[in-house]
Amino acid sequence: MTTGDLDPLIHVPTRLKIVATLAALPDGDTLSFTRLQDMIGLTPGNLIIHLRKLEEADYINSTKTSNGTVSITTVALTGHGRAALGTYTQALRNLLDGL
Amino acid sequence: MNPTPDTTAGNGFDPREAAALLDQTRRQARRQFEPAQPWLLAIRAVLVLATLGTVWLSVRGQHPYQGPRASALLIVAAFVIINYTATVAVRARATAGVSGKSRFTPAEITILAAAWIAPYVVMVALGVTRDSQSGYLLTVPLIVAGLAFAALMAGRADWRQCGIGLAVAVTGAAGAAAGQAGAWAVTGIGLCLTLLGSAAVIAWQLHRA
Repeated sequence: MTTGDLDPLIHVPTRLKIVATLAALPDGDTLSFTRLQDMIGLTPGNLIIHLRKLEEADYINSTKTSNGTVSITTVALTGHGRAALGTYTQALRNLLDGL
Repeated sequence: MNPTPDTTAGNGFDPREAAALLDQTRRQARRQFEPAQPWLLAIRAVLVLATLGTVWLSVRGQHPYQGPRASALLIVAAFVIINYTATVAVRARATAGVSGKSRFTPAEITILAAAWIAPYVVMVALGVTRDSQSGYLLTVPLIVAGLAFAALMAGRADWRQCGIGLAVAVTGAAGAAAGQAGAWAVTGIGLCLTLLGSAAVIAWQLHRA
């Protein structure tokens, strides 16, 4: 097994942090963009770039809601994303066991 | 439309660093999302034992039992308010920005509030208000609120919290069986052990990967 076998979408420090953070929430829970940004420590623009990549792969869902004056974006890991993280974690474990 | 360039491709991302980062991120996230922090639970355990133990020391020699002095009840009331305020503040910080099953629904909040208030209302209506019966005013609400909390948590399949609710109810029952004066000591010890046990379980869960 080599590093090339690891999911390239997740095997990036920032996206790994994003996915691992969202995975800490119970299935069905969502996290606001602001809270995620605060926990990951990224600028909004940088975070949006990474979230877009994850959403294109159906690893996360993002929803924008508005109550008229305030717009809130929430993010959640999809089932596909959880499975992908599980696969990545196992592949990482196998790779490190083989080193 | 040009695709967003991935300028942060992980080609040079060492797998060992990735494993360490994954582990660290998981633990930090679990800690930040946990509404019941072990350190706060441990402090509450000590405070509840000290508060109820102090009341017990003030009533244990009473024959017949007359109940704690107003000053002792004020201390208990102050502890309840501080405890509630701290719990709500820590929970609010942990769940900030989180939506979904983690949050209590308005119906659940109503049930929990009613579980605390209703026993007092019923006991007052039944005339259980004399100082010599103050042990029941401590233990009966714990039984009712503990069972209500356990039932709600069982409905959410949150077995850790369900266990806490049952432990609180058992503590209330044991306190009620210990007599009016003994209720303060037994309840103090039972709640202290429940909080310490909960702190230990949460600390273990947060520590594992």
